[in-house]
Amino acid sequence: MLNQVLQEIRSTQSALNLGDLSHKLGVERSALDGMIQFWVRKGRLIDDDAAETQAGVVCSIGSCGASCMGAFNCAFIAKMTRTYSISPDDIE
Amino acid sequence: MTTHELAYTQRAGFAIYYGRDAEEEIVLLQEAISRHAHIEKQFPSRWLAIKLLEGDRDIEMHLKVFQGGADVLAAAEKSIIHLEKIYGEDIDVVIADHRYGWINGLVREVVKRSSHDRLTNSDKIDRVVTNRLLGIPIFLIAMWVVFKLTADVSAPYLDWVDGVIGGPITNWVVGILGVLGLGGTWVESLFVDGIIAGVGGVLVFVPVMMFLYLALAVLEDSGYMARAAFVMDRLMHALGLHGKSFLPMLVGFGCTVPALYATRTLENEKDRILTGLLVPFMSCGARLPVYVLFAAIFFPENAGAVVFGLYLLGILTAIILGILLKNTIFKGKEQSIFVMELPPYRLPTLRGIWFHMWERTSAFVRKAWTIIMATSVILWVLMAIPVKGSGSFAEIDVNDSVFATANEAIAPVLAPLGFDSWEASSALVTGFVAKEVVISTMAQVYAVEEPEEETEAATFFEDVSEIITSFIGATFDTIKSLPLIAGINLFEEEEEAEPTSLMQTVQNSFEASSGGHGTLASLAFMVFILIYTPCMVAIAAERQELGAKWMWVSIIGQLGLAWLMAFVVFQGGILLGLG
Repeated sequence: MLNQVLQEIRSTQSALNLGDLSHKLGVERSALDGMIQFWVRKGRLIDDDAAETQAGVVCSIGSCGASCMGAFNCAFIAKMTRTYSISPDDIE
Repeated sequence: MTTHELAYTQRAGFAIYYGRDAEEEIVLLQEAISRHAHIEKQFPSRWLAIKLLEGDRDIEMHLKVFQGGADVLAAAEKSIIHLEKIYGEDIDVVIADHRYGWINGLVREVVKRSSHDRLTNSDKIDRVVTNRLLGIPIFLIAMWVVFKLTADVSAPYLDWVDGVIGGPITNWVVGILGVLGLGGTWVESLFVDGIIAGVGGVLVFVPVMMFLYLALAVLEDSGYMARAAFVMDRLMHALGLHGKSFLPMLVGFGCTVPALYATRTLENEKDRILTGLLVPFMSCGARLPVYVLFAAIFFPENAGAVVFGLYLLGILTAIILGILLKNTIFKGKEQSIFVMELPPYRLPTLRGIWFHMWERTSAFVRKAWTIIMATSVILWVLMAIPVKGSGSFAEIDVNDSVFATANEAIAPVLAPLGFDSWEASSALVTGFVAKEVVISTMAQVYAVEEPEEETEAATFFEDVSEIITSFIGATFDTIKSLPLIAGINLFEEEEEAEPTSLMQTVQNSFEASSGGHGTLASLAFMVFILIYTPCMVAIAAERQELGAKWMWVSIIGQLGLAWLMAFVVFQGGILLGLG
């Protein structure tokens, strides 16, 4: 089941959304969330939002007019959706 | 019984089965644990055996303090090595995999859903909104509504703020300076022609920004924004670009700086640099006031459509340029593997919308009070220093100033684009600081002398009363403007707002510099604003994220492309007999 999730993400030809993945695998959405988090903990998937925050992205420059920690928290921009990427070490 | 209990306890016929090999090792470990009664008393043996196989660090730390704990840990280590040889995979993955498989099987067994229940309302909406054929048109319609709302519906409030700043606020400042004995001096000029004209010129557009942020907040809080990213992402991928590129680009509609930092989510360096080079073509919020001003002057009937067209042009430019670069300089293996979370649709709350709108608008106003005020004062000083003519400091014809003379040197380069006045070139030069400064510069350089009206000076209370009544009038007009989104105009011809002196002066200047093709020149000017370097902070971000080499490529490339595209718009328009 877990490997199937990873395999499905790996074999996709474009962006995949969690809802479609849940239907495709016939897995409850909440269970899929848990599986995604498992792979994030294992380092096989990367939580892009968290990765950006950890990278210390700062744009608190006076003339930007905003004090933010990365794009996801900038006052001027819309809140973006969360994405998870396959770890570069895991791409076949 | 909780899933936790089911996973870790052995109950005949009702426990998770982890596979023959794993179960054998669990039993072996349970035997090792049972040799130490005090450990077995503290922890259920099956639970502990599974935890140890999973490599739970906390449990390992706990076990170390027990007598005999080291033996159990050694046995667990041996079992892990043995199982990993068999499965060729980390043993915690094998255990979790069995657990999820078991849970999934259990849910299928006991939860019966009709086909109707299986699809949530969000799923049903997504079938349309993220449809491969309908997704893009729906995204374009959403954008079109946003810009109609921003450019057309906000107009009455824009006029109201303009009236308040140009009327009562200016009069109060002049009055206070008069009381202080500074009336008619350079200090009054600094306040009125420098600070009020510059900062006020930008603050006039606060209602425009508020409407933009209102629309964005609705799209964001409803959950549509994530779908827009998903749909555009798919398009980018279909065009051979990195699918994830569109996320930073969508961020770029707000502000280019965080969008450049957002490119860090791209793992491949080539993709990151390519996306960083394309992000500035997404029209940031700061450029919107320029479009709104010029669209109101030259395209009063279709202002919203013009603004929408400019945003679309930015996206198309980025896509076309992206395809070109991807197939030449940045040729490489496409690696776009990711999964996106689409939150369920929600009805936005007034509180949430107000919070987002206020947060962003206040950030815009803060910017006006800091960088724009500083730039306005510097510009005023440069426009007060004479280099020709017989004037003295602050008492000169602005055309004789050091600022005008310096910008006259640049203006000929812009002649083929239809706007070779020093005023237009100076707005582009100061636009390097921040795009909002383009507007404040125009308000200052097109030094407009408002015609003196033969009226009695209003008292403070009359001014306040006028501000309140004109606000109520603007609110009614805004409500009347809403049908404009659907193309229905409820305003009588004579009710249309009169162009302000600034609008009239800008129009005359562009008509004069373009040989009577003011509309084409204004369109070329807006295209130039859209394409050329966003601002100095974005340049700093490019240097940090892409390196000095690509920063210069970006600056020079954007300037060159801006000139070329504005040239095509102006000269092409003339050739085709437009404008």
